[in-house]
Amino acid sequence: MSATATASNRAPATAPAVARTPTLGARLRRGRTWLVIALVMLAGGGLLLVLRGFGGAVAGVPVGPADASPVGSKALVQVLRAQGVEVVEARTLGQAIDAGGADTTVLLHDAQGLLGDDDLRDLAAATDRLVVAAPDFASLDALAPGVRHAGAAPGALDRPGCDLPAAQRAGELSPGQRLFTIDDDAAGDGWVGCFADEQFGFAVAAGPSPEGAELALVGSVTPFQNQSIDESGNAALALGLLGAEPRLVWYLPGPADAPAGGPTLGELTPGWVSPVLVLAALVTVVAGLWRGRRLGRLVVEDLPVHVPAGETAAGRARLYAGAASRQHALDQIRVATIRRLATALRLPAAASVDDVIGATATALRTDPIAVRRLLVDEDPLGDARFVDLARDLDRLERDVRAISRPAHPEHPEHPEALDRLDRPDPPGRRP
Amino acid sequence: MAVSGRFVWLVAAGVIPVVLAGLADAGAAWLALVGWLLIAVGIASVDLSLAASPRRVALARELPERVRLGETVESSLIVQNLGPRLLRAVVRDAWQPSAGASRNARGHLEVPPGERRRMTLSLTPRRRGDRRVADVTIRAAGPLGLWARQATLAAPGRLRVLPPFDSRVHLPSRLTRLRELDGRTPLLVRGQGSEFDTIREYVRGDDVRSIDWRATARRPDPEAPGSARLMVRTWRPERDRRIVIVVDTSRTAAARIADEPRLDTAFEASLLLAALASHAGDRVDFLAFDRRVRGLVHGATSGDLLARMVDAMATIDAELIEADWASVPGQVRRLTAHRALVVLLTGADSPGTARGLLAMLPQLTTRHSVIVASVADPDLVAATRERGGLDEAYRAAAAERALLDTTRLADAVRRLGAEVVTAPPAALPPALADRYLELKAAGRL
Repeated sequence: MSATATASNRAPATAPAVARTPTLGARLRRGRTWLVIALVMLAGGGLLLVLRGFGGAVAGVPVGPADASPVGSKALVQVLRAQGVEVVEARTLGQAIDAGGADTTVLLHDAQGLLGDDDLRDLAAATDRLVVAAPDFASLDALAPGVRHAGAAPGALDRPGCDLPAAQRAGELSPGQRLFTIDDDAAGDGWVGCFADEQFGFAVAAGPSPEGAELALVGSVTPFQNQSIDESGNAALALGLLGAEPRLVWYLPGPADAPAGGPTLGELTPGWVSPVLVLAALVTVVAGLWRGRRLGRLVVEDLPVHVPAGETAAGRARLYAGAASRQHALDQIRVATIRRLATALRLPAAASVDDVIGATATALRTDPIAVRRLLVDEDPLGDARFVDLARDLDRLERDVRAISRPAHPEHPEHPEALDRLDRPDPPGRRP
Repeated sequence: MAVSGRFVWLVAAGVIPVVLAGLADAGAAWLALVGWLLIAVGIASVDLSLAASPRRVALARELPERVRLGETVESSLIVQNLGPRLLRAVVRDAWQPSAGASRNARGHLEVPPGERRRMTLSLTPRRRGDRRVADVTIRAAGPLGLWARQATLAAPGRLRVLPPFDSRVHLPSRLTRLRELDGRTPLLVRGQGSEFDTIREYVRGDDVRSIDWRATARRPDPEAPGSARLMVRTWRPERDRRIVIVVDTSRTAAARIADEPRLDTAFEASLLLAALASHAGDRVDFLAFDRRVRGLVHGATSGDLLARMVDAMATIDAELIEADWASVPGQVRRLTAHRALVVLLTGADSPGTARGLLAMLPQLTTRHSVIVASVADPDLVAATRERGGLDEAYRAAAAERALLDTTRLADAVRRLGAEVVTAPPAALPPALADRYLELKAAGRL
């Protein structure tokens, strides 16, 4: 392969070669249908997104004050606002403490357990009224040391059994509430339980926190959520607990409340690492485009059929071996050997097997009976005997060849060559 | 469009500004990344817009018509730039794989506007038949070689690869024997069917039985009045005999023996026989047949016989169908109405597969001399000698059985009045030529 640049004169104008690669325009025209379908699907998807509204509607924040999904609490917040309660949303502890104070209720739902003990106590100290929805073990330990978790109620709870006004108004709670037990120390501190289950405990507990704030614990979040607020007396409990004061701080701890640990991996790595990783990925993609682009289409070619000729014989050999037909296989060797012996000993074509045996025994000066046993009589009993007989036949043939070779000037490589040597010289052939 | 390695390196070089900017501030590193990518794509876009169009190109080929298998030819592609810009192109000439172009068959050309450049490719075909090329792909890069435009253009070409005719090495020795045959004939008694050549004066050594007494009586000796010079009649081998070579292209011809398909061996043998026979003054017709005529050379003069034969053979491949032997006598009759030597080159190797051949042969042998030539498998002969273990003994038995089948078939063919030539692939062409010479010497054509 060489590309020689032969300086040629200015060439005469020639028609350009026909291009097989479609131009960009032709490709667009050909793929028009698919393009249209893709555009329609994109537009439809965009429209759906707009209709459903961007943002949290899809995700669903549990007890989110602006969340209209089943787990959110938008319904409760709207009813509270309609009744004149000022609902303030707080995402950090600082906001919650600043917003708290006199005439204010704080609702706390710490789903991820982000607040530490000190945070909880600070919050309790900063507020007059604190409602904790679904407190975890750490929250209970910090805020109400004598109150413990006690499983879930199997059915609806319909006996308030305490003088908490909200509980009295609710009268009944939906099934599946999580329960608390209140030990004697806590009861001594002034803790009371409402909606008692016969066996386990109470769904709502109210009492003073160690810091002196008025504290109400609700075991589950179901009384506050959109999906279940209309069941039993859930709504009455929630409104009663949260609407008692003119102001409500709706505090869901966010990422900013997470306890500060050591420096993160992101803070430790230099600023250029992420961009370089992105660049490396891009380089990989571009290198793939570079190496993956073919210089024209593959060239196809019809190849002719070629059959290995030895297949038939090999297949037949496997059949013999598979059926262990030693006798039959040996017969083939014997017949072929007898034919070749007759040729080598220059016997006429009509010579019988006995003639061949006799001539062979004479030529080798051996016992005709032994030759006969080898060539005709002996049965190959067992594989070993079969192989021995096959070898003996080969040896016999070689011996006879060696004796009769002087008569043959060239060593015959092939039976057909033997045939040819044996034919009488054709007439007209140069002597 | 195609991206070059340079563009990859250009993008990768962005790591330097990104790291430098990142030492100060993470945001600056991101900015540097985006900026570098924009710069790289921008430069590459400008580069692409400056590239010559790979479509505004005229292509021409300079290609020999034919080549013998095993030889190397030069194929030239002339690229003419019709556009207004300098064409910096990588050109790929898309030959079929077995055309044997060098592995990396692409060339770099720089063609100024309106000029032409030649790209030369050496081809060493690996297979008989028509090797084709349909496309030329041109990738035209811009001045910086970052991005390139690519198009595939139609530039069809064809190179006919002829059978190698390796057996021509046997031709000189056979021609010598043919000449000996020619020169020796006057010494012989008139053979059966030999043609009268001349009457000439007796020289010592001539066979006295060939003295023509009537011609002697008509020719008085000018030096010794009253006596006569002895005249002898000379004979020469028959000329203008007809030879019909029928090559069987059915499924048996697809078998590969000693790494050569039977069909190729048959072609070699036919070519040697045809070359020899045309030197001897005989007329040769060639027919490749399975169920229909695959190739036919009829009425060729001795000058163009071989050229026409190799041309006809070049594109013939074995078909996986059974041969229709019954229609072969009809095909032979269409080629010649006279007595001829019919050479059947076939792969039939057992009485079972050759039933059609055996049923048809009497029709041919009543009118013509027939030679049935087939390829013997040397591996079978070798396998009969291997008797070391059990598997080998069984294999030897199977090989013996196959050879016995071949022998039986040969006997059957001989009984039907035809001659048999069987030899391993390398030996078949000379064996067939020798048999032809024997027949010719015997005057049996």
